[in-house]
Amino acid sequence: MQGHHISSAGFLWTVGTTLLILTLLTVSVTWIHIPAPFNIIVAISIAVVKATTVALFFMNLWWDTKFNLLLLFTSIVFLGLLIGLTLIDTMFRSDVVPGW
Amino acid sequence: MAQTSETSVTRGAHVQHHFVDSDQQFESSKMGMWIFLVTEILFFGGLFLGYITFRLWYPDLYIMASEHLDTFWGTVNTIVLIGSSLTVAMAIRSAQLNQQKGLIINLCITIALAATFMVIKYFEYAHKFELGILPGTYYTYEGIPHDLANIFFSIYYMMTGLHGLHVMIGIGLMIWLIVRARKGHFHSGYYTPVEVTGLYWHLVDIIWIFLFPLLYLID
Amino acid sequence: MATSDSSNIKKLQVRRFKPEEYPEKSYLSEEKGLWAWMTTVDHKKIGLMYLASITLFFFAGGMLALLLRTELLVPAQSFLAADTYNQIFTLHGAIMVFFFLVPSVPAALGNFILPLQLGCKDVAFPRVNLLSYYIYVIGAIITLTAIFTGSVDTGWTFYTPYSTATEGSIMLMTFGVFILGFSSILTGLNFIVTIHRLRSPGLGWNKLPLFLWGLYATSIIQILATPVLAITLLLLTMERLLGIGIFDPNLGGDPVLYQHFFWFYSHPAVYIMIVPGFGIISEIISTFSRKHIFGYWAIALSSLAIAFIGFLVWGHHMFVSGQSSLANVVFSFLTFFVGIPTGIKIFNWIATMYRGSIDMKTPMLYAMSFLFLFSIGGFTGIMVGALAVDIHLHDTYYVVAHFHYVMMGGMVMAFIGGLHYWWPKIFGKMYNETLGRIVCVTLFIGFNMTFLPQFVMGSLGMPRRYFNYLEQYQAFHQFSTIGSYVMAVGFFTMAGYLIYSLRKGKRAPSNPWGSRALEWQATSPPALHNYDHTPVIIHGPYDYHRPMQEFQLGIADSHNGHDDHPPTDPTIKTVEADK
Repeated sequence: MQGHHISSAGFLWTVGTTLLILTLLTVSVTWIHIPAPFNIIVAISIAVVKATTVALFFMNLWWDTKFNLLLLFTSIVFLGLLIGLTLIDTMFRSDVVPGW
Repeated sequence: MAQTSETSVTRGAHVQHHFVDSDQQFESSKMGMWIFLVTEILFFGGLFLGYITFRLWYPDLYIMASEHLDTFWGTVNTIVLIGSSLTVAMAIRSAQLNQQKGLIINLCITIALAATFMVIKYFEYAHKFELGILPGTYYTYEGIPHDLANIFFSIYYMMTGLHGLHVMIGIGLMIWLIVRARKGHFHSGYYTPVEVTGLYWHLVDIIWIFLFPLLYLID
Repeated sequence: MATSDSSNIKKLQVRRFKPEEYPEKSYLSEEKGLWAWMTTVDHKKIGLMYLASITLFFFAGGMLALLLRTELLVPAQSFLAADTYNQIFTLHGAIMVFFFLVPSVPAALGNFILPLQLGCKDVAFPRVNLLSYYIYVIGAIITLTAIFTGSVDTGWTFYTPYSTATEGSIMLMTFGVFILGFSSILTGLNFIVTIHRLRSPGLGWNKLPLFLWGLYATSIIQILATPVLAITLLLLTMERLLGIGIFDPNLGGDPVLYQHFFWFYSHPAVYIMIVPGFGIISEIISTFSRKHIFGYWAIALSSLAIAFIGFLVWGHHMFVSGQSSLANVVFSFLTFFVGIPTGIKIFNWIATMYRGSIDMKTPMLYAMSFLFLFSIGGFTGIMVGALAVDIHLHDTYYVVAHFHYVMMGGMVMAFIGGLHYWWPKIFGKMYNETLGRIVCVTLFIGFNMTFLPQFVMGSLGMPRRYFNYLEQYQAFHQFSTIGSYVMAVGFFTMAGYLIYSLRKGKRAPSNPWGSRALEWQATSPPALHNYDHTPVIIHGPYDYHRPMQEFQLGIADSHNGHDDHPPTDPTIKTVEADK
């Protein structure tokens, strides 16, 4: 079965080290003060890369049945719907919060 | 289809009566855990929605308020959690290879790292409480020149608090795993609880991976 | 999907397993006693415990509705104080939605039927299944405590800022609903895994009964939407406890945001309630038309389409809440799309009946009522989805009538139809057919008497949730109240003949309707572990042109793990089944 993938110790350490480096990277880019919208984009992109690494190689999605990957993907899509459709309201109001 | 017609396959003691074989049970449990993780993602997703909504409304609030979060300790905690993810993955590997001792050692290190995370979190909270940065109406701190500073910290406490609760639950699960591992319940043919707890723990790590830049790294 | 490999055809040694008629042993006769029931992991017993609980809540909620209708016989106060009225409609809504509609079909009928239709011994996680029942009970107890220790008068939606400001035991009530959500999530989780992993040999996705497609779509909504309800109620609790301010305009929060949070769950929850009902209707119509279902894939996939589109339309509850005009337009536009998959289903059901040999048994009568009432509910839903019309109709009795046509005329009719359809299988007893038909007609008449006038007075401007009204509405209100009494008579008669059938009813054969679906190949009532063999499926569940014995196959030398039955039948043959 696909579920019984056994990673080598060296591989797991490599993944862990990669995550550590990415963490240090995301902290250090805040020192150079990237201008407004791009700093968030950089920070989130690094976070996405880290999360994807964890999901694929620690959570074994790379070797697992595709359905489990689909589940993760689905949850992100529906989270996107929740956020996206709400922002259609909150970003386009004439008055953000009445009275403020 | 996972069912087969061979009944001659010997059934391990761990296979429940309604499953055909060990693999079917393992794959079912893992899929069940993944579905549970889906619910976790949407559960935290609500908080992310709150975060994003208010950040887009009041960007300057977030910049001002996040200066009161300690980036150094946030970074340390991130590294601690990543380390614990690594040790959980090592623990699963030990179980897969029948390494009883390695499994228990790795789980112990994981618990130690998780506890470290909570201790650091405790000191961060305590420091803020002293300043009067409390959630909601109890917020009394005057150092942030913004009317809605309480909102940012409410979101901060909700996000990190719920995440902390998940870490605590994770510690409980690891202790349960150690107890069972000491009784010799896990081996290469059956390590399902270790595997699914590992999946849970990695998700807790992933959520922190997003919380960290969103809360601490706003410059 | 998953591990299945459709190109893979496998040869299996099978023989015919004819279900034993009038068995002496069944799940009801084994593992008896209170303790055995309370600790059972058997999906059938858990399903029955759910059935008993939701019936209790349905009657409780129904009695509350009767109180409301009686109060509305005359304008101004007759026997309920205004505050009491507000509390009673809140309770009626909360009990019906959270304690009856959401768990009704999946947790009660679904729990019982799903493993039988898949040919497996139990759901994937039997203990989780029992846990979900106890979570349901705990949630119910907490909520009832909230009712008896205080008062909740917010309506079932708990809108902020009223719900964070008003007195009463709102925290306890929302906590009860929060707990209840976990029960719903666990049921959904269990069903998805079971459908994916525990299908019998040969039961590919293209042979899955449509009831299971309905439950599958429902489960997906449950796991995606319910967590958002959980976080919503948690935030609401924190708002009351700590004043975190996210939803409170006094602290700079946004009450409309609460509505987004709430309806992201509660609109899809409407489909949690109705989609399994669609599944029941598919089963009933095919069985009683004795005909292959028309458009199998269209019905199956439209369930999934409804599940998906259901997540895109929640803003149509908020047209007058002050959300942005852009959001209004987008949500109104998206709302119309829900009509497409729903219409596809209706047309396919009607096409199934076309030139079938229709047998108007009680379940089929309920299916007919469903088609009629649900169509009205659906069409009026499209009307209130239209932006301009909704400004006029919002929060009037028109909306009340609309969702009662969908929920009660649709979902409850389907549920009762399903209950009658599977009653012989569940209890092994036949109910009185004549009384069944009479009650169905009574309910149909009573229902229309109750809710048709509400469309009229709603469009004339009668607001919902009002304790008092102008005299011009009195005739409508009185007609409506009399209709609700007619329904009450119907429901009590039904309870009477169903209970009577348990004690004195004729024993049911294993397949009273001549259905081809797998659950009818178990004994009535089923054995403790459902089947004493591993069923093998080579035809779809609606292949009425195939002889019955081809639906009674099982693996020849397997006893489904029960090796105390030696093989006796020499009629072993080989079939090819999808792996």
